[in-house]
Amino acid sequence: MTGCSPLKNKLIQMKKLLVALSFLFLTSLTYAQDLVKKIPANAFTVATIKGDNVFKLMFVKDFNESFVGKKILTETSKSLDKNFTSVEDFGINLEKNMYYFNQLSDSITYNCFLIPLKDASRFENLITDKEKKIKIDGEIRTMILPDSMSIIKWNNNMMYFVTGSINSSFFADSLKSARYGIKDVRYQTEISLADSTMTATDSTYVTTDEPMVEEVIAPPVVKAKVQKKTGKKSTVKNKSGKRKKGVKSKKIPKKVKHNEYDSAEYTVTDSVGMASLPSTAGDDQYDQYQQEQTEQEAKKKQLALEWITVQANQIFNSNYESIESNKSYAASLDKNAIAEVWVSSLQDVYNSLSPAFRSYGRAGVMKGYGSLTAKLFMDNKSFRISTGLELAKEQADSYKKIMNRKLNKKFLKYVDSEKAIGFMGYAIDTKAYLEELPKLMQQTYGSFLGINKMDEEIALGSELFSLLLDEEAVSKVVKGDALFIINGLNSRDVSYTTYDYDEDYNQTEVTKTKKETLPDFLFMFSSEDQRLMNKLIKYGINKNKVSVSNNIYKIEEKKSPIDIYFMIKDGIVFFGNSLTEMQSISDNSFHTSISKMHKTLLSKNNFSFLFNAKNLVGKVPDQEFGGEETAKKFNETLGKMGNVYMKSNPIKGNLVSADISAEIPNGHENALKYLFTLIENAAK
Amino acid sequence: MNLKQFYKLLLFIVLIPALSSCFEIVEEINMRNNGTGDVILTINLSQSKTKVASVMLLDSVQGYKVPSKQKIQSELAEAVAYLKKSEGISNVKSSSDFTNYIATISFTFKDVSNINNITKNILAKQKIKATNTSSYSFNKATKIFSRKYQPIANAKSEFNKLKNQDKAVFNGAMYTSIYRFETPVTNVSNPASNVSKSKKAVMLKSNIMNLINGKVNVSNQIQLLK
Repeated sequence: MTGCSPLKNKLIQMKKLLVALSFLFLTSLTYAQDLVKKIPANAFTVATIKGDNVFKLMFVKDFNESFVGKKILTETSKSLDKNFTSVEDFGINLEKNMYYFNQLSDSITYNCFLIPLKDASRFENLITDKEKKIKIDGEIRTMILPDSMSIIKWNNNMMYFVTGSINSSFFADSLKSARYGIKDVRYQTEISLADSTMTATDSTYVTTDEPMVEEVIAPPVVKAKVQKKTGKKSTVKNKSGKRKKGVKSKKIPKKVKHNEYDSAEYTVTDSVGMASLPSTAGDDQYDQYQQEQTEQEAKKKQLALEWITVQANQIFNSNYESIESNKSYAASLDKNAIAEVWVSSLQDVYNSLSPAFRSYGRAGVMKGYGSLTAKLFMDNKSFRISTGLELAKEQADSYKKIMNRKLNKKFLKYVDSEKAIGFMGYAIDTKAYLEELPKLMQQTYGSFLGINKMDEEIALGSELFSLLLDEEAVSKVVKGDALFIINGLNSRDVSYTTYDYDEDYNQTEVTKTKKETLPDFLFMFSSEDQRLMNKLIKYGINKNKVSVSNNIYKIEEKKSPIDIYFMIKDGIVFFGNSLTEMQSISDNSFHTSISKMHKTLLSKNNFSFLFNAKNLVGKVPDQEFGGEETAKKFNETLGKMGNVYMKSNPIKGNLVSADISAEIPNGHENALKYLFTLIENAAK
Repeated sequence: MNLKQFYKLLLFIVLIPALSSCFEIVEEINMRNNGTGDVILTINLSQSKTKVASVMLLDSVQGYKVPSKQKIQSELAEAVAYLKKSEGISNVKSSSDFTNYIATISFTFKDVSNINNITKNILAKQKIKATNTSSYSFNKATKIFSRKYQPIANAKSEFNKLKNQDKAVFNGAMYTSIYRFETPVTNVSNPASNVSKSKKAVMLKSNIMNLINGKVNVSNQIQLLK
């Protein structure tokens, strides 16, 4: 324990040397060290905003002059009573990456931000009463926020903000919480008396057990400091011997007071807490209960602050393995992205936190799922969000087999890009799907239901499933590819009942007609074996559920507000609500005009979706919107929208991924600037 | 996704975007000289039947639960049962047409004032807050039929609290009231109302939005020939 102080001093010395050295280099280097090196390897989530990429799309000057920029500047100027004219006045280095990351443990979650600084003194200007709040230790300045659960720490290059939240479930475990001298207070006197004796024994734990717990929670440097602290704690306790007095509650605040907690606010709150103690320590059970609970909460907070402090110190003062060494993280990076989010392997995190989960038999729910990534791109054409999920090899192999199918090329004949409002296509291999399904189910649910509990039954069920289904035969009836498309809007006459009145206002019921606009939809899927379909149709006709004319079938369902037709042609089953469209398919007169973009989107991907709002403009009669005004607004919004589309990418290695893109309308320089105009319009 | 779910989704995509609908409410009162008379109330959603039919296939729309056909019928039956028990009311009939979405309730009253509390109570029973105070009276001696209608002050503000898409439901909605008499009408107090050629009927037509906004008031004092 004592060996740690010199170590720390050494570290500080080293750090000073490093800072001095780095200053030398920094002046000649345009790029300072990226803060990613400061993110510990065990971070659970990492989010990045890439300053250089952002400000490539929009100069700082443009940003300052934008609606959002002005808003930020005037608001901050007002609240701090200063005059800011540029975001650069905040002292942040806008050309570098900003990071958010979090770290999970069974007892506390840290939420952390790493912001690169260009001019620390400017940043400090944002703090009012800084003399009182900031604690200076060499290059490093620290400020504890009023909630005592967050710390801001910075030097000349970076600002670090960390806030912690305690896992209540951790402290609900009396054994664990007792290690920290915290007890689970319940509203019952006898128990709380018994507890106080327990705490007595537990306090010994504090010294012995803490290092072990620290292994889980805090990093090495942390250990040193906390150990020192606990040592102090126990001496305090032994010295003061408050237990003897029997009033357990008094013990805690004293202890807190002896803790050298540098925050002014902190000591204030605590002393208040203590002052109120004697008055309430009467007979009133409830008061006592409440009071004890407040004390316990204060203790937890105190502990959290200790942990947070230690965590923050570590970020500044020590060397550790950074997230860069994580292969999955490194692979997830894309130099063109504006922002990125990476969530580490769900499975690993689950397992590391699983003692709690395992007891419920839920270990392995995340089995097979690796890290999750999302990346945002903006350029002169569109916004794009690209998401990816890593799978276990087995799972990825299963999906590769399932996805080994392309959309039937014949489908493309039925897309009219000039009119199409939207479409959705997907292609999977039904046979592979049915074959792989039991495996996937077993993987997911087998462990879900608990180890050795249902595994056999599930395996049996899987076998049975395969036995009953002839995958080959099913895949012939439904091959697994389908396309849903809305090729435009059509108006039709609809009759309705209303009333006419004669000269004497006698009522007569009359039938009138009105135009109603409905989208024409067309749904199609491939089928090699139509025997089943044909039998179904025959059955339908016999039961008067289906009528037929020129090979086009109509579903006779009175309840349905729209007519639905279907037909089978060239190994494709068609469903649709437009008779004309059906007829044109039947006699090969369908007007085909698929654009290259639509063709690529549909034929290259297993899943694709597109919405083209522009084709909707002016097509819907005003009355359908309930008025000209609403219609105008609606059409305006639609007219401004570009294509929105989504697609799945082929599985690369073990990575499944999909992209969502939104094109920006003409006349906008790039997506970021367009976004700013959108925000401005929305705020008006 | 099973076929039914697919069908529902389809309807949602195809039909729901614009929920604005046209419906009409018609209120007819046939007054006899002796003070008795008949009431026929009609709600006609036929102009929006495609939309209503689609909505009926869904469980809820825009956050409101869609009542089933059975539920609507039972509520209607409840209203009829209640009317039958009400003082001065007889000959209660109701009809519902689920092809064109038209529902009617008709009954005979001994005195037109019998109606006054009915509407209020029915609405209260259905847990619908009555948004207006409305009363009818007929004075056999002075031969004055009067309809008093006081829009509740907060009706408008309550309505304005609705989401725009919910308000749109009322956009195309119409209200028609027709009062028929055995004696010719000599004077009507409401300028928005029209007297028929035979002078024996008075009609008032208004957009329901205007009623809610208070732009049109349906109050009327009708003087019959003495």
